[in-house]
Amino acid sequence: MTSVGPTGTTGTAPREAALRCEGITKAFQGVHAVNGAGFAVPRGLVTALIGPNGAGKTTLVNILSGSMTCDRGQELIGSTDVTNWPSHRIARMGLMRTFQLSRELGGLTVLENLLVAARDQAGEALWNIFLRPGLVRRQERDNIERALDLLETYGLYRLRDSRASDLSGGQKKLLEISRAVMASPSILLLDEPMAGVNPALIERIGGYILDLKRNGVTVLMIEHNLNVVEKICDHVIVLAEGRTLAEGRLSDLRQNEQVVRAYLGEVIDAGTVR
Amino acid sequence: MSGTWYYVFTLVFFFFDYFILAMGLNIQYGETGILNFAYIGFVAIGAYMTGVLSLPSSAGTGQYYILGLSLPFPVNLLLGGLSASAFAVLVALIALRRLRTDYLAMVLISLSLVLYDISNNYVPLFNGADGLYNVPEPFAGALHLNTNSFIPVFAGVTGAIALLLWFVMSRVTRSPAGRTFRAIRDDDVVAAALGKDVFRQQLKSMIIGSFYAGIGGGLLIQFSGSFNPTAWLPGETFVVFAVILVGGVGNNIGLIVGSLLVETLLVHLPAFLPAIPGAPGLIEYFDAVVVGALLMAMLWFRPQGIVPERVRKAARMGARERPADGPGGLVGEDVAALAPAGARAGGRAR
Ligand SMILES: Nc1ncnc2c1ncn2[C@@H]1O[C@H](COP(=O)(O)OP(=O)(O)OP(=O)(O)O)[C@@H](O)[C@H]1O
Ligand SMILES: [Mg+2]
Repeated sequence: MTSVGPTGTTGTAPREAALRCEGITKAFQGVHAVNGAGFAVPRGLVTALIGPNGAGKTTLVNILSGSMTCDRGQELIGSTDVTNWPSHRIARMGLMRTFQLSRELGGLTVLENLLVAARDQAGEALWNIFLRPGLVRRQERDNIERALDLLETYGLYRLRDSRASDLSGGQKKLLEISRAVMASPSILLLDEPMAGVNPALIERIGGYILDLKRNGVTVLMIEHNLNVVEKICDHVIVLAEGRTLAEGRLSDLRQNEQVVRAYLGEVIDAGTVR
Repeated sequence: MSGTWYYVFTLVFFFFDYFILAMGLNIQYGETGILNFAYIGFVAIGAYMTGVLSLPSSAGTGQYYILGLSLPFPVNLLLGGLSASAFAVLVALIALRRLRTDYLAMVLISLSLVLYDISNNYVPLFNGADGLYNVPEPFAGALHLNTNSFIPVFAGVTGAIALLLWFVMSRVTRSPAGRTFRAIRDDDVVAAALGKDVFRQQLKSMIIGSFYAGIGGGLLIQFSGSFNPTAWLPGETFVVFAVILVGGVGNNIGLIVGSLLVETLLVHLPAFLPAIPGAPGLIEYFDAVVVGALLMAMLWFRPQGIVPERVRKAARMGARERPADGPGGLVGEDVAALAPAGARAGGRAR
């Protein structure tokens, strides 16, 4: 594939990694959910993380985003070692994640869900509320406009005043993504953003991901649908039993016997039929 | 002043005081989701500290207590509130950092029992089971109030303080800080993933709420001139919970309704009813039953409270109305990139 990314590098030449991990291990009461996984996520591209159910993909995203700590291993964002940093510090490094099972902030409205995600809000500090109300108000106004723009883009504007808990499954998926985008991430980890949504919405979400890529966001997405992987992902990482089995382009991986046996064999047909 | 007015102003005082207490618990539980089952302990710290700060040195008073600095009224009250906040920092550092929700609630219940036992048994601190009494009346020298005129004046002062604290609280809950609190209440994992330092925010909420608890407690001891362990049995926490759950969690108007209904009408008004002949004290026991039953009925039939949390609408936040929903964000070429088999997504330069 001759892809020209935002950084201008061409071809398959190794790109700078936006996110890297090595030897990540996590056990739950003796069950090794992740067992030495390691890979690099190339900057500015869309990378797929695929693998059988229970391979440890979600656990890995939990670890990489700081929602969980790992037993062993190392994680780097750019050149900063962020191994086992708490979630909020990793988020402030520009890494955002979504959840496989949507986790909306149910008591807040759709608009408020996005507003929470806005970065560096002066109004979160109490003294600013009382001593610099003008600054807080201005910032809030800008954030509201930006959030409404995003809601328009993601087709949720009409629902801006609805409680997030009242949304449908597909709408919650869109809310998850737009909320993460509101935080202006440089790296976005998406855990099955298209699971359980209808084909038309799959297309739309695919379009959003490509939009993000065009804006320079590095995306790592867990996805079971190989049609989607084929169409929007530049790079694929195969995870099996907690280990990185292979990396590369999907077309190459299809030739890899190990990969086919571990994962593709069972889904290739289902995948192409959609 | 007639007896009726004495009762009325006493009720007015308790209404305002519990409104303050309700606001403090509401920011902790209703806004941030911290199940602070030790809340009454923070009220007690505020009360005791306000007391010992205004009492003279304990030597020769027949009471045993720490400090005894003879500080004048608003100063001792303010320091009483801050003492409760300082204690909240201690509790948060020890318990809040490690524990979440249910475990934290259990630890806090135990904590309020421990605090109770200490204050009840360790006499040098706050005079043990006898508690503090003869606490100097605020403005006594300045306004020449007698016992009767003190009650309406102090009910008014409490009302003014409640109003000020209400103003401050509604600024906080309407701000981005309040929104972040509610995000943590709804899902702390998500809030953390969005870059919020959950512990720091919870600590902030604990400090603010405990300050309100401390002020509410300080006003109690100033109103009655005394405070002892019977005034704050650990179960009293649940009366404050009843106030906010009945009125409506996460809503300041709901807190007013809750304070009026639960505290004023159900807990304090019956104390002024004539005793049932042959059964002294029955009414007092009975109102605990009524509050409990009301709480259960509310949770069953109207869990959002009498006045539910308000939906904060975009227009009310000052957003301009826009024509309608956008096109759904899909630029034509993106669809094209997905649809035809040959079209590859990544192959487009900026
Ligand atoms: N909190 C947990 N406690 C115990 N075991 C867990 C926990 N989370 C995950 N596991 C186990 O770890 C393994 C990997 O789970 P994980 O959710 O990461 O898989 P996955 O690759 O995301 O699967 P799927 O494609 O079905 O979403 C599974 O065997 C799972 O049972
Ligand atoms: Mg998963």
